[in-house]
Amino acid sequence: MHYLLKKLPSEIKNNKLKTGIFLGLSAYWGLILIGTFLNLN
Amino acid sequence: MDVFLPIAEVSVNIIAIFSLSGIVGVLSGLFGVGGGFLMTPFLIFLGVPATYAVANEANNILATSVSGSTTHYLKNTLDYKMGLMIVVGGVFGTLLGIWTFTYFKGIGKIDIVISLAYMYILAIIGTAMLVEGLGEIDKARKKIITKKKLHVHYWIHGLPLRMRFPKSKLYESAFTPIIIGLIVGFIAAIMGIGGAFILVPAMIYIIGMPTRLIPGTSLFVTIFVSVIVTFLHAFNYGSIDLVLVAMLVLGSIVGVQLGQKLGESVDSTEIKTLLAVLLLLVGIAIAYDTFFTEHTVSEINKIDVNDLNPLSMFIKKLSAEMPILYGLFSIIFAVSLGVGAAFIRKLISNLRKKYSLKKLK
Repeated sequence: MHYLLKKLPSEIKNNKLKTGIFLGLSAYWGLILIGTFLNLN
Repeated sequence: MDVFLPIAEVSVNIIAIFSLSGIVGVLSGLFGVGGGFLMTPFLIFLGVPATYAVANEANNILATSVSGSTTHYLKNTLDYKMGLMIVVGGVFGTLLGIWTFTYFKGIGKIDIVISLAYMYILAIIGTAMLVEGLGEIDKARKKIITKKKLHVHYWIHGLPLRMRFPKSKLYESAFTPIIIGLIVGFIAAIMGIGGAFILVPAMIYIIGMPTRLIPGTSLFVTIFVSVIVTFLHAFNYGSIDLVLVAMLVLGSIVGVQLGQKLGESVDSTEIKTLLAVLLLLVGIAIAYDTFFTEHTVSEINKIDVNDLNPLSMFIKKLSAEMPILYGLFSIIFAVSLGVGAAFIRKLISNLRKKYSLKKLK
């Protein structure tokens, strides 16, 4: 875990808000895309 | 306090409808968008079937766009020629949209199509607004000023049939506004929205119109698109419910005027970010409703026409027996309320000016 955190680009570590929003939006889009796929099948 | 809708055959809470249409109206006035993409999902959440929510919100948008457009007409901030070119595309787009609506209604998939369309539209707009809003806040904090290009040329500008648009001071292909109108009309017919959230960015970034002419021209186009959508829904499906339309129109017209006034004194950048979050939340609520809620076929209580009150009975009979007349009446009803609201606003504004001049003297 410590190794992975070290590997993360410094910009991501410095801007937690942007990273949070990016992860939130990715989860949001992932959910609706998977939901649509499952619903249509 | 519940009110029975004679055409949609459901009961809705009158206070909930008034407050929601008022809040959406305030947001519309504040951000210059129609608000249909928020109000239609809200109506669906309140228990109005999707097919009725789409049609009645289109009729509500007609009233608010007539009201807004009349205000811009009085201020002379409207490009008719450009607007009419977009309307030409809009007519074909709307007909195509109604045809698609009929197809999905025929195979029994219209509710899922409307829900999915809303979910994706809200997700796209919400994401774009959130990214833009955060970018603007970031730039303001770091005090970065970016220079924008005067004109960006796309392939669409190279199309034939070039003409002059004197009011916008533009010389470009008539196909540019026609294609944009086609897309807007198609989406408006399926989703019961005005399409301003597509039209406004397209007018700024693709057509390249001056900013001061955009709200008025966008509302002018919306009038024609929503007239066609309202009429076709009333004629084909008999889904316009004048009781619901009256509640929606009154709430949203008051809200729009409040929102426009509020917009004059509030910095909208941070509110824009909040609106983006609200859109994403509504999107996720639709996703939850579509993917995870068990949809049981509700029993439709067949209501005897004689059990209704005289107004509901009249509306129901008129819609069933004379759909053309009913469609025309819905349009005239919304247009009159819209024009009336615009003139009342002008009257109040003149009175306030007079009063403040008297105070100065």
